[in-house]
Amino acid sequence: MTIKSGTGQACAACKYQRRRCTPECLLAPFFPADQPKMFQNVHRLFGVKNIQNLLKELRPDQKVTAMKSIKFHALQRDKYPVHGCLFEIRHLNYQIQMAEDELQAVLQQLAYYRQQQQQQQQQQQQQQQQQQQIAATEDYMSELQLGVAPPRNAPFSLEDNNVVPQYNCVAPQASYSNSGNVDYSINYLDFKENNNVVNSFCEQQQHQQEQQQQTYSNSNDNNTSSMVVHPAHLIVPQALCVQQEIGQDYNEMHSFFDCVDDTQSYIGSKEACDSSLDSSPSKDTRQLVHEEMAENELKSAAAFFSLTSVN
Amino acid sequence: MASSSSTYNPPCAACKFLRRKCTAGCIFSGYFPPEEPQKFANVHKIFGASNVAKLLNDLLPHQRDDAVQSLAYEAEARVRDPVYGCVGAISFLQRQVDRLQKELDAANADLIRLAAASSPSVHMPPPPPHQRPAEFGRRFGNDGGGGGRFYQTPGYQITYNASPWADIYNPHGGGFDGNI
Repeated sequence: MTIKSGTGQACAACKYQRRRCTPECLLAPFFPADQPKMFQNVHRLFGVKNIQNLLKELRPDQKVTAMKSIKFHALQRDKYPVHGCLFEIRHLNYQIQMAEDELQAVLQQLAYYRQQQQQQQQQQQQQQQQQQQIAATEDYMSELQLGVAPPRNAPFSLEDNNVVPQYNCVAPQASYSNSGNVDYSINYLDFKENNNVVNSFCEQQQHQQEQQQQTYSNSNDNNTSSMVVHPAHLIVPQALCVQQEIGQDYNEMHSFFDCVDDTQSYIGSKEACDSSLDSSPSKDTRQLVHEEMAENELKSAAAFFSLTSVN
Repeated sequence: MASSSSTYNPPCAACKFLRRKCTAGCIFSGYFPPEEPQKFANVHKIFGASNVAKLLNDLLPHQRDDAVQSLAYEAEARVRDPVYGCVGAISFLQRQVDRLQKELDAANADLIRLAAASSPSVHMPPPPPHQRPAEFGRRFGNDGGGGGRFYQTPGYQITYNASPWADIYNPHGGGFDGNI
């Protein structure tokens, strides 16, 4: 039979121990009578004597905190008999590790998105710069074609990668019009280097003309059109090639005309002309021969209808 | 003719401290080696030898080693800090979890904002994997195997759960902020 204290009911500690709860009871403030389970946990883990020994070494203001920690400790041991407080500590460590890993992953994703944004901004800036450059170039080109803007003194710059295709088309003409003799000399040098190629090309053209006997004029036209298609850097050497061919064949033409009889018909003269053309002249010499023959025909016709009688 | 035992087991740290004969059935032998006397001394000072013996007798043999390790850790923490003991470490870890949770929430908010602002054509990186604490629960879920009162391990989640220590210390819901 427990003797109640003066204040009222006995504390849980004294009730459990079945002893008199005096006013000087150390555990009374911490273990109210309506919480017997709490004292049982503490008593099972620590024991009354050990609790009292712990409280004796502390200041009064520390006793409340200490008792709270002791109660929590005992509660944890009651919940987890094997690990006790260590279970909560390890669980918190695990939560911290998981949160840190997740935070690192989120920060990596944030860095990825920020990098994407920077790249997009850089691309937009580059596009704007390119558009500005293209617009400026187009303006200059239009002014140049209209003759408003002075041509560039320096040769067409190979460093201008954006406008190289355009300047490649215009370069030969520009080299003629300005003092850019360097460009012309370059073309001339290119012609000299490719002279053998050009000559062989001219010989091929002459061979094609020999094969086209029936359609003489058409073959000329075809050869003319085929000559125009070739790239621009061959136009100048081709012209020179034609000049050379004309000069080379001039002597042959003289010998050819010597054997031509003015009294012969057109067909006969044509056959003679074709048979004698072992190394056929170019299209210009063919035209000259044709003109000569036409002239001879006219002369013969005029002689036939001449008032001067043959008799 | 002196009798010589084939096997001589030195007394455990508990029996040496208590100055008694260490028998073959000593509950402390194997868990308190004589090379670590301070270990039992701390445990005896805080919990008492009888209480520890009762606690170990209530557990299965394969659980006793973990129990002794946890008791030794808690006793040493209480000796170093008589006011808070190992609960001080729990409070510190709780504050760390709270801080990390706030940082994670802020980072997730930034991520959502950036993801919404970026164009749909941007390739979305895979989200971070959410690891469940299944292994942690399985590791410490053996408390319900022995006799006496044993409890199943609760299913802890990634989100921070308030520990009952805060409620015990401050009924008003505040954090652990006491210092010596």
